[in-house]
Amino acid sequence: MRKPTHRQAEPGTWNQHDLLRRLCHALDIAKLTVDHLAANGYTDALDPSKNIRPEKIISETAVLLLAASSAISQKEVASRIHAIAERLMPHARSECAKIGLCLEPSVAWDYALPHVCLSRIGYGDPVFDELLRLSLQAQSHAGRERLPHRMLEQEWAAMGWAQSKCGVKQASRADALRLARLSALHRPMDLLASTRDDLYAFTHALMYVTDFNLNPAPLPRPRALLLAEAETLLAWCLDTQDYDLSGEVLLSWPMTGRTWSPAAAFAFRVLAHVEDQAGFLPTPSTRVDEAKARTGVERTQYLLATAYHTVYVMGLLCAMSLQPGFAPPAIPPVSDKKPGSAKRILKFIEADGKPTHWRDEFDRLAAPQTDALAGFLLHIALRRKTASRDLGKLYDLLKVAHDLELADSPAASQAAELLERLAAYSRISANPQCLPSEAASGVNETLSASSLVRCDTESQRATA
Amino acid sequence: MGNSDQHRQIVKQLLDSKAVDFAAIGKVVAEAGPSLSLAEEPGDFFCGTNRIFIRVYRVTDPGTPVENLGELAGSTGVLQG
Repeated sequence: MRKPTHRQAEPGTWNQHDLLRRLCHALDIAKLTVDHLAANGYTDALDPSKNIRPEKIISETAVLLLAASSAISQKEVASRIHAIAERLMPHARSECAKIGLCLEPSVAWDYALPHVCLSRIGYGDPVFDELLRLSLQAQSHAGRERLPHRMLEQEWAAMGWAQSKCGVKQASRADALRLARLSALHRPMDLLASTRDDLYAFTHALMYVTDFNLNPAPLPRPRALLLAEAETLLAWCLDTQDYDLSGEVLLSWPMTGRTWSPAAAFAFRVLAHVEDQAGFLPTPSTRVDEAKARTGVERTQYLLATAYHTVYVMGLLCAMSLQPGFAPPAIPPVSDKKPGSAKRILKFIEADGKPTHWRDEFDRLAAPQTDALAGFLLHIALRRKTASRDLGKLYDLLKVAHDLELADSPAASQAAELLERLAAYSRISANPQCLPSEAASGVNETLSASSLVRCDTESQRATA
Repeated sequence: MGNSDQHRQIVKQLLDSKAVDFAAIGKVVAEAGPSLSLAEEPGDFFCGTNRIFIRVYRVTDPGTPVENLGELAGSTGVLQG
């Protein structure tokens, strides 16, 4: 277990040396990962779901180097980036990648992504550039249909390539905002039933739009709105111990600005705490018994394959946080939430009896800091009660949230809308003829609370 | 009306409306609602015909919890800082 670095006791930002240490750890793991897995990927004889293509490892390592380059003024970071880039280059421009460019121009940017990232940090290759140029001139170069966040990925790669060739800091991103408006960034997410895929769409779109603060495009919605949704997603990820997605969602804060909410600051503490306890930021993929069942190189490759990804995410987070003015607060800031708010919301969570890592860190906080996290607790409780279909408790939770002046979040209003819909379903099921007049005429209208009350009164009169 | 006000207003509207037995509705939903969520179907596949090239910066969810942190620390030497 890694000994935690001494944190600042007074209110202030997270210790810069600690952030640097964590980033360097991620880069050290990246070097090992490239050495062991970049050539052939990873094949697990017992569990093919753990197989990883080499292209994925090469691309993700290249993205980590690009993001880490914002901290290249630190000599420990610069030397590590150089060492990894030297190892990565042959894989990024392998014969396989070059032939792939020729054979499949519709995925040219997918083949070229590691090359583009390396070129942006000064490790270019004119031969690969030429093959890429020819591939992009193919009729079919845009022939693959993609989801909006994947379209953003293509735009991001193209922008990066143009930037690397022209040697300018800010390359044009004329298409980025248009594409971002097609993505999950542009409309309210389903905060109560969203899946991991939905969250990945959000986090990846944001990475591509912000370009890790290197050459950001405009956000399609205000930062405050995006982060209000990210807070709910973050709460769910921490509660389910999904540290890969927790880290990616948490990137939303330093990738879009300097301020961190109490929940985001707390989440960073939780990730750091978990990383300190395990020695790396873990995923469920790394199983102790499977590690122990292997020896030597096989064991090393298993550990790297199952763990590298989330280690990289922590590296991205620390790289973003090392930018001047972007570090998270060392301790979650206090806010104007009502005293005792946290305790009242916690009752809904404690009733589930589910042990969680975030609770260990939460219990170390003083009362004013816990009350500042009442909104975070509310988001966990809303998601849990929705998932378990405990609608009675969900309603009670919203009542408490309203009393505590916590009901101003998108998750709270989505929960209220959910209950409205199910109340309407209940009334319609009990009395099929009792429909709002607009629905009867085929006009699609949302039922309001007042129409439900009117309907119910009429129904009672009819059956009296 | 700002965004926060809108969210607050939606919640208030629900709370101000006639009392509904949500606990009972919840039981019906739990029993009669879809057993497999449509929302959780992977979006990149249509009839299983689309080929996924590589999905950068995503991990598959194995559905099991993270291992005990102390045991992980003791068994994963190469990953330790």
